Amino acid sequence: MSIHATMHIVSPSRRDAYFDWLQMLTGLGLVIFMALHTALNLSIIFGAKSLDIVAGALEVLHLDTLAHVFVPILFLVHFVLAARKIPFRVDGQLAIWRDARLLNHRDTWLWIVQTISGMVILILGAIHMWTTITAGAVQAASSVARVQSSGWTMFYLLLIPLVQGHVFIGLYRIGVKWGVITDKMRPKVVKILVITFAGVLILALLALARYATLTI
Amino acid sequence: MARTLTFEIFRYNPAIPEQKPQMQCFTLAETANMTLFIALNRLREEQDPSLVFDFCCRAGICGSCGMVVNGRPRLACQTKTADLPERIILLPLPVFKLVGDLSVDTGVWFRDMYQKTRSWIHTKKAFDSDQEEERMDNAVAEQIYELERCVECGCCIAACGTARMRDDFLGAASLNRIARFALDPRDERTDQDYFEIIGNDYGIFGCMGLLACEDVCPKHLPLQNQLGFLRRKMGITALKQLFRKSSCAS
Ligand code: HEM
Ligand code: HEM
Ligand code: SF4
Ligand code: SF4
Ligand code: FES
Repeated sequence: MSIHATMHIVSPSRRDAYFDWLQMLTGLGLVIFMALHTALNLSIIFGAKSLDIVAGALEVLHLDTLAHVFVPILFLVHFVLAARKIPFRVDGQLAIWRDARLLNHRDTWLWIVQTISGMVILILGAIHMWTTITAGAVQAASSVARVQSSGWTMFYLLLIPLVQGHVFIGLYRIGVKWGVITDKMRPKVVKILVITFAGVLILALLALARYATLTI
Repeated sequence: MARTLTFEIFRYNPAIPEQKPQMQCFTLAETANMTLFIALNRLREEQDPSLVFDFCCRAGICGSCGMVVNGRPRLACQTKTADLPERIILLPLPVFKLVGDLSVDTGVWFRDMYQKTRSWIHTKKAFDSDQEEERMDNAVAEQIYELERCVECGCCIAACGTARMRDDFLGAASLNRIARFALDPRDERTDQDYFEIIGNDYGIFGCMGLLACEDVCPKHLPLQNQLGFLRRKMGITALKQLFRKSSCAS
């Protein structure tokens, strides 16, 4: 080998591989949390009492404390890792926008939706976590009062579709990136995910409607 | 039946920088079984001899006729006008160097990529011309052949959002090359060797799973499955290293 070939070599590193694992695992961790969190919220559909029972059970298991500590950490780490992929310079943003416009390709559009929803969730989610964590134990009465106080219904009306959309696109993305979803399965999995997404979205909005209209 | 097709074609000759890039309109009567290959040749013969585009095999084998047809990178020779609307917009493939009008230079890009991925069989065995060739399991040979079918048209690179944002990203055709050698029992490279080439954000971990490559590849290569395979393989290679003591010790 000639000498000049050894003059400038990027040192091999496993950093990008670990970051990619972590990006996937933090995303998956947040999805699991959101699934439980949505289930908790859905219990309000059956009335204030059922929410209090579910929330009380979580407290006995200390799952609420666990969430108060680990969810903000996951949230932050996931954001920092995912942000490596977001083009923050205008030329990059234009490149992906033009590519999506030109191709008119579903999965490329979905990535843009994921990125934008992610950035909005970063802000809204942080505000939401701050208010709920500082408010202490989850109780139907306090949540109903909060949702019915100024602006919070609109806040959740925006946050719910963004979060659920981000969750389902994220699951799909993990599946195709790591090869869990193969080319043969893709159309079927897309159908299943779309139907589940629609179902969960409707239920979550129903829960919000209950929060917004219950009188306690 | 007989439609009149309107072509909007990108015109620019980089050798004449004073001339601005522009879209030029042509009309042409559609004929039976017309492909874009036939249409473009007729336009050049009958209307504008200065129109630049590439063709060679006109049978989807050489990969030289890749262009953006109504937004999608495709092989022009394999595209029937009957499958397109009356208005057909033709653009050169992005990412690659423009030669002129619809012609781009994919050759230099692919040559460079072959160097980067070291796209040849690496073996320490000395070649013996008197020996019978070593036999390969038929199933493996077929699997390799499936990935060898790539015609280097560049469509998967031109469609990839990641490649559009970052010109240092290897892209699906390159990653597919690595998958092909990783399958080949004659290649003695280890996972670690492949990791050094693609185990980073320029390679497999840069791919964001947008799957435009999979959806545009005119040869229908199983790119989605290969990308998933490589991500798992390279991800696991990195994890194994994490749990292994330094190779210098002992
Ligand atoms: C409840 C909160 C969140 C959940 C459940 C969640 C979930 C996920 C999942 C499962 C993925 C797929 C991971 C992968 O492809 O490896 C993902 C990707 C992504 N997330 Fe989130 N996320 C959340 C918050 C955020 C926030 C706050 C941001 C801030 C910008 C964000 C930005 C992104 C981006 C840009 C990607 C795409 C990464 C890529 O394509 O490589 N997410 N998210
Ligand atoms: C430790 C963290 C969290 C706690 C303790 C928590 C707690 C709560 C509570 C008590 C409610 C009921 C409404 C209210 O009281 O205002 C709620 C609703 C909601 N939360 Fe969270 N949350 C947490 C994290 C998150 C995260 C990370 C997201 C996503 C970014 C999120 C999204 C939502 C949404 C969309 C609703 C409305 C649900 C519906 O009506 O279906 N939460 N959360
Ligand atoms: S899956 Fe997407 S990001 Fe990955 S190579 Fe294909 S088009 Fe590019
Ligand atoms: S993988 Fe498909 S799209 Fe990409 S260069 Fe090869 S044949 Fe063309
Ligand atoms: S002319 Fe060879 S692939 Fe189209």
